[in-house]
Amino acid sequence: MKVSSEPIERRVSYLGDRLMGRRCGLCGKEYFEIKDYCGACGRKSYGKMADIDLFYDKGVLEYCTLVNEPTNKFTKLGSFIYGIVSFHNGKIRVPGRLTDQMAQLEKEVDFSSLEDREVVPRFRRRYSVETCDVVPTISLAFTFADEYYPYQRYETVKPSKEYDNPGIVSYGAYTSKFRIKEEHIERSVPFIDEDSITAAVEAGKMALMHAAVSNSLVGKVYVGSESNPYAVKPIASKVAQVLKLGEEDEDMQGVDAVDTEFACKAATSMFKDAASLVSYPKSNIQYAMVIGADNSQAAPRDCAGGELDLFVGYGGCAYIFGKKDVIAEIEGWYSCTSDTPDFWRRDGEPYPMHGGRFTGEPAYFKHVRKAAKKLMERLNLQVGDINYFVAHQPNVQFPVRIAKDLGFKEEQYLPSLQVAKFGNTYSGSSPVGLAAVLDIAKPEERILMVSYGSGAGSDAYSFLTTHQILEKRKRQKLTVKYQAENPFLEYVDYTTYRRLKSGM
Amino acid sequence: MYTRPAVVAVGRTKFGEHYEKEPEKLIEEAWLKASVEANIERKDLEACYLSDYFLPITNKLGLEEGFLSELTELHVPMEVTRSFSSALSSACNAIQAGRYSMVLVGGIEKMTDRWDKIRDDLMLLEDPWSYYAGCTPEANHELMLRAYIKKYGVRGGDVEKLNAALAHVSVKNHMHATKNEYAQYQRKITVEQVLKARKEAQRPLGLYDYAPISDGAASLILTSEECAKKLTDKPVFIRGFSSATDYLTFPARDDVTHFLASEIAMKNALKMAGVDRHDIRVAEVYDQSTVMEMVALEDLGFCERGRAWRTIHESCQEYKGYYEIDGRELFVNMNGGLKADGNPLGATGGAQVFEVFRQLRGEAGERQVKSDAGPTYGCVLELEGFGTKSYVCILGRD
Repeated sequence: MKVSSEPIERRVSYLGDRLMGRRCGLCGKEYFEIKDYCGACGRKSYGKMADIDLFYDKGVLEYCTLVNEPTNKFTKLGSFIYGIVSFHNGKIRVPGRLTDQMAQLEKEVDFSSLEDREVVPRFRRRYSVETCDVVPTISLAFTFADEYYPYQRYETVKPSKEYDNPGIVSYGAYTSKFRIKEEHIERSVPFIDEDSITAAVEAGKMALMHAAVSNSLVGKVYVGSESNPYAVKPIASKVAQVLKLGEEDEDMQGVDAVDTEFACKAATSMFKDAASLVSYPKSNIQYAMVIGADNSQAAPRDCAGGELDLFVGYGGCAYIFGKKDVIAEIEGWYSCTSDTPDFWRRDGEPYPMHGGRFTGEPAYFKHVRKAAKKLMERLNLQVGDINYFVAHQPNVQFPVRIAKDLGFKEEQYLPSLQVAKFGNTYSGSSPVGLAAVLDIAKPEERILMVSYGSGAGSDAYSFLTTHQILEKRKRQKLTVKYQAENPFLEYVDYTTYRRLKSGM
Repeated sequence: MYTRPAVVAVGRTKFGEHYEKEPEKLIEEAWLKASVEANIERKDLEACYLSDYFLPITNKLGLEEGFLSELTELHVPMEVTRSFSSALSSACNAIQAGRYSMVLVGGIEKMTDRWDKIRDDLMLLEDPWSYYAGCTPEANHELMLRAYIKKYGVRGGDVEKLNAALAHVSVKNHMHATKNEYAQYQRKITVEQVLKARKEAQRPLGLYDYAPISDGAASLILTSEECAKKLTDKPVFIRGFSSATDYLTFPARDDVTHFLASEIAMKNALKMAGVDRHDIRVAEVYDQSTVMEMVALEDLGFCERGRAWRTIHESCQEYKGYYEIDGRELFVNMNGGLKADGNPLGATGGAQVFEVFRQLRGEAGERQVKSDAGPTYGCVLELEGFGTKSYVCILGRD
């Protein structure tokens, strides 16, 4: 048994995940490493080297070739394009591989058609390791800036307004470029180097860009997932480090980071905690981030639990909560819980199991109905007072039935219904539905969101959008609709879907 | 006044797969051949310089000096380096300084013992970041070719010519190897085969553009000038030797179309040798790929930057056994190069020196270069990693 060298992993991921470098304050020469002095200027540059990172930058693919006989740890990637990527007009050149490429490599590649194009770093798994090993990651994977993931600048903007109530400051929904299409439902499929960790980081990155808030002001991050590649080791620590949340001190981040688990409501459960935290004056935390991300697990079709295989998707959704420049205030919430074993995954088991008859009426419907009704009652809301209804979406039927049961009309619940485009993204399911609504909502509209987590429980939230939702929309390039109707989507067959989903 | 180091004898094994042989057997064979040729005994050796890259990995031999001591029953100073040229450099320094008057320089590699993992091992010689990004031992050669084509604006029909020229490099080296009894591939190949392999690989370079994975050993006896004259009438002097280094990270270098280290090493070696570049007739260059042979012609200053492929293309239309550069003849990789002679990393440089030694002494048999009165000077270029280190050695009859 081989186990990764922990100090090497630490150093490689510290630099490679963020693509860290240094710039000489005297001559401007840049290095892709944490150099304490400039090779050209020598001793006098000591203490004058400034940190740079390429994580939010875009580069240019200068030269490339095909790797179709990879080295041993890369064989699961199959063929890929490998090349030299330059940043800052060639001041920094790094090696990189293109990711998310499959169909393009089935025919002969014209390298000159790829060279000189702009590329954006993607945070992905580095290579295959044993299942007992540390999961290696890196951002030396790239996608073209004019394809599925468009390049977006990350800049911070001074907040203009402070609200009495906390609310959603920004959000980011991240899905993959690949889909499987069966009957009436399309589902997002991760590329082989993606997992719940990479989705969480990418979604968080998008939420920061949308917020235009400095990453150093985010004081807490929660990551809800039920497909963490680790049984023990948080996704949140990776998110905190890669996104550099909180004040950086030496090589640590002044941020609290924690993973939560409650099946599909692991993330939504923490919305109120994040909102409360930023409202507590002594917390000294201005912003808190909540991410729900899953490479939703399902046994193969012919095995026990395989019925889920028709619905599972892949993706993540991140929300930043705060009191400044809020786009949707939280009016109130209600949560309910009961110990209902409708769906579970025992430790060490690769796939979750379903409790058959439990999943519908005594589980999903019972909890969602209770949470929705109680919250409406508490806030004295009628169905007509609510513009959008967002429910957890394990399939198409359940959210539609509960919406109708509660008296909602199509125009209230259809905009949030995304399961037919991305599948059930587990912890990301109702958050993606909410993102789809926030993408289109007008100011002063009311959104009722009700999540559901097996085991079982529901969180209901009422959000009231503000006028700032419009001005922030210009920073939301990767909308849910854009990802659902993207011209660069690539469809895969069932065998490929299973292979990609099982990862490196 | 320093003494000049001289090579008095060389020995080598056949390169290729030596499935049944332990590494000890290979170095023993190479050493015995050299010692017989020099007519010396083990006890005459005052020190040994051995080179290998991967014996600790491929054969779990962590302290190679120990096995060499056991093999030779010698207890003299022994040092292990990576490339044969680095071992030779250390030996030359010691001889020059007057420390020793006779030493053994040997190189060995046993790559096929780790067939399924050797390409991963080879990535140790490239930078870790490239490895993490998915680089293979071949990818950088292909990127260098892409960069070369772009930098020198090779377009249209010229691209085809350049690609054909690179194919000719391989064809030529295979042809040379048919006359080399030690070569791994003693068979001819055709330009069509090279091109077909590239098409099958769907890459800029294919199977026939790359040197193989090999086992083998090579050695030589290096002495002081005085000692050499007692042992042979035809010593070959190490006139100049130099090395230079460059960034480990290939993409981070300013110019990815050449090896700066080779250019610097050649300049300094020429200066030390006091030889005009154009008086060198025989060159054994490090053709780990056909691109590397092309680039070497430019790095060593035989061809202008961006022009070597034209020289190759023109010379290979009706190949006469040499590249014709401005009316001068340059015999390159007469042993078949790394491509056809083989490339057991730690021993490769030994085979290169072996070839130049034989050519300068007029002992190369069928592949002896035809030159007025025989060639006087030859050079060897050996790289470590992908141009991270370059060694140039200039040998001469006088």
